[in-house]
Amino acid sequence: MIIEVEDLVKHYGEVKAVDGVSFAVEEGEIFGLLGPNGAGKTTLMEILCCLRTFDSGRVTIRGFDLVKDSLKVRASIGFCPQETLLYDLLSVKENFAFSASLYSLSSKKFKERVEFSSKVLGVGEFLNRKVQQLSGGMKRRANLAASVIHDPPIVILDEPTVGFDPNIKREFWEMIKNFKNYGKTVLLSTHDMYEADEICDRVAIMDKGKIVALDKPYILKKTIGGDAAIHIRVKNSQTKKTLTVLKEYKTTVIDNEIRVSANNPWEIMAEVSNKLVSQGILTEKIEIVEPTLEDVFIKLAGRKLAEES
Amino acid sequence: MNSIIGIAVKDIKTFFREKGTVFWTIAFPVMMLLLFTAIFGREIPFNANLGIVNEDTKTPVTQAVISGLNATGFLTLKNFTQRTEAFKELNTTNVRAVLIIPENFTENLMNYGQVNVSLIIDGTSPDVFRLIDNGVRTFFSEFSKQFKNYTEPVTVKTESAAVAQVIGYKENITPGMLTYPLLFSSMVVSTGAIVYEREKGTLKKIRASPIRPINMLFGKTLAALVQTAISILVMALLAAFLLDPKLNWNVPLLIPIFFLGSMNGIALGLIISCIGRAPQEASNAATTIAVVLQFFTGMYFPIEYLPTYMQQIGRVIPMTYAAQALRDIMIRNATLADLALPILTLTISALILYGIGVILYKRWVEK
Repeated sequence: MIIEVEDLVKHYGEVKAVDGVSFAVEEGEIFGLLGPNGAGKTTLMEILCCLRTFDSGRVTIRGFDLVKDSLKVRASIGFCPQETLLYDLLSVKENFAFSASLYSLSSKKFKERVEFSSKVLGVGEFLNRKVQQLSGGMKRRANLAASVIHDPPIVILDEPTVGFDPNIKREFWEMIKNFKNYGKTVLLSTHDMYEADEICDRVAIMDKGKIVALDKPYILKKTIGGDAAIHIRVKNSQTKKTLTVLKEYKTTVIDNEIRVSANNPWEIMAEVSNKLVSQGILTEKIEIVEPTLEDVFIKLAGRKLAEES
Repeated sequence: MNSIIGIAVKDIKTFFREKGTVFWTIAFPVMMLLLFTAIFGREIPFNANLGIVNEDTKTPVTQAVISGLNATGFLTLKNFTQRTEAFKELNTTNVRAVLIIPENFTENLMNYGQVNVSLIIDGTSPDVFRLIDNGVRTFFSEFSKQFKNYTEPVTVKTESAAVAQVIGYKENITPGMLTYPLLFSSMVVSTGAIVYEREKGTLKKIRASPIRPINMLFGKTLAALVQTAISILVMALLAAFLLDPKLNWNVPLLIPIFFLGSMNGIALGLIISCIGRAPQEASNAATTIAVVLQFFTGMYFPIEYLPTYMQQIGRVIPMTYAAQALRDIMIRNATLADLALPILTLTISALILYGIGVILYKRWVEK
């Protein structure tokens, strides 16, 4: 295990931000911490990056104790926080040079890493431009590249795509997945269930400072999220009639949608659809929806991911 | 509520809740007013140390002279038995002038109505020279009135103790101006360097890297030293070309004073940046402290203009020693041996302040 966290506790005054968290990350995997704002993800990541102390527990990274071998731990990590930590008046390359100097990178290695960043992370086109002249997306790309300029075996990303539009988000997901191809271990925090589902090999779901579930996304969805269901949306005035028509099935109403549960919803889909048409009910939407990590979170925490912890 | 009133109410509420803004707008001007009043609003806005060498075996007449000088209020007297002792103190500016009452003072005054006293004044500050010279002459003029049989029985013979002539204003102000970067640039630059990282969040990036906090501080210190050195160089070149002062530009002696002075300023800046809760607060504090301290250091006007208690404050500020050392080198042609005290003082204070800064920074980082 490249990262091992045992019974970690961190208080902010009376508030327990991290409450007895334990997990281990395998080398080369993309491990996600999924949870709403205030769940303790950022505190946990900042502890792993030696930016915060903790009250009790134990953390080892690449076998180094986080407290005793803090310098070795920090040398092993590339940390990319939510905010862009670049110097506006310096060019992207000058920012890279500063980051490289913090890790005592040789000039040969620095040159190699700049080439890598240009090709793989796509910063080549604006390498010599001042950061203040870059667009938001370019800044975030440069920020990510600067945080891994020293070629660390572990990359820690705190909400790497928050505030991105879908296209740039996809671009970033590809870059993060690509880290795995270069042998990196990635630990990322997110409150975006699609992001966690799309790029993480394993996901730990955090709520109120605790890990409430941890596994591969598809296993979490299957074991906790429940079965797939038919989601039907009709006009409000027809909801009652629809429920009457579908009384022989197991139905629930969530967020103005009628959900028809069954062991195999694909088998009954045509039948349900026909019944509605024959009774003159017009559907705005009818589809089979498989459980998401959001469903997993709702089952575990009793509320949505978007709500604060 | 009317929208105009609404905006005004919101702004006024915000203003009173931003402590830094309230300080700059109200408290700082009040503080400056009190400071100026304390310095310049006094009846006798000057106080200098005067060495007395009374060679006339302490007769009632010379005692009367000494009591009278004491009563002027602008002179603090220090008695010496030997001229050499007094001149030594004059050379280190512990006294700004030495008055020599010759051994036959009483006899000549009482019998012949004619006597000379010698007044040797530190000539490195034109203001000090003029004020002491005029003050002592006025005193003896008044003192002579009790000897009605004689007109002007006491003649004051004045001479300058520094480089044979009284120094001009530009020669006096140039070393003072060169103290400015030591106090202002170094302190504000070093505060700004850390505050900027805090404000931008980039300190997080540095702290997540395997660089030791002390190395980060050394890097910041090096940058602040270079920036202060550039500021000093620019000011020195401008002073040399624009004012053309007749000064001793003893670079090998000036460099250690500039270095030690800068280190004191940088250390103070470091302390302020760690104490300030918010980046803006630390930045404002550095500027305020630099603005206030400049009055106590003798940079622009002689420290003798300050009330005695403020002079005492000035003597515990490292920059006062830097300002004096620069004047000693550039005006008095001081040697390394003459600078032992300021160098020692600046070194010790820099070590103490920097040590405190490092402890505070480490504590702040580990919080």
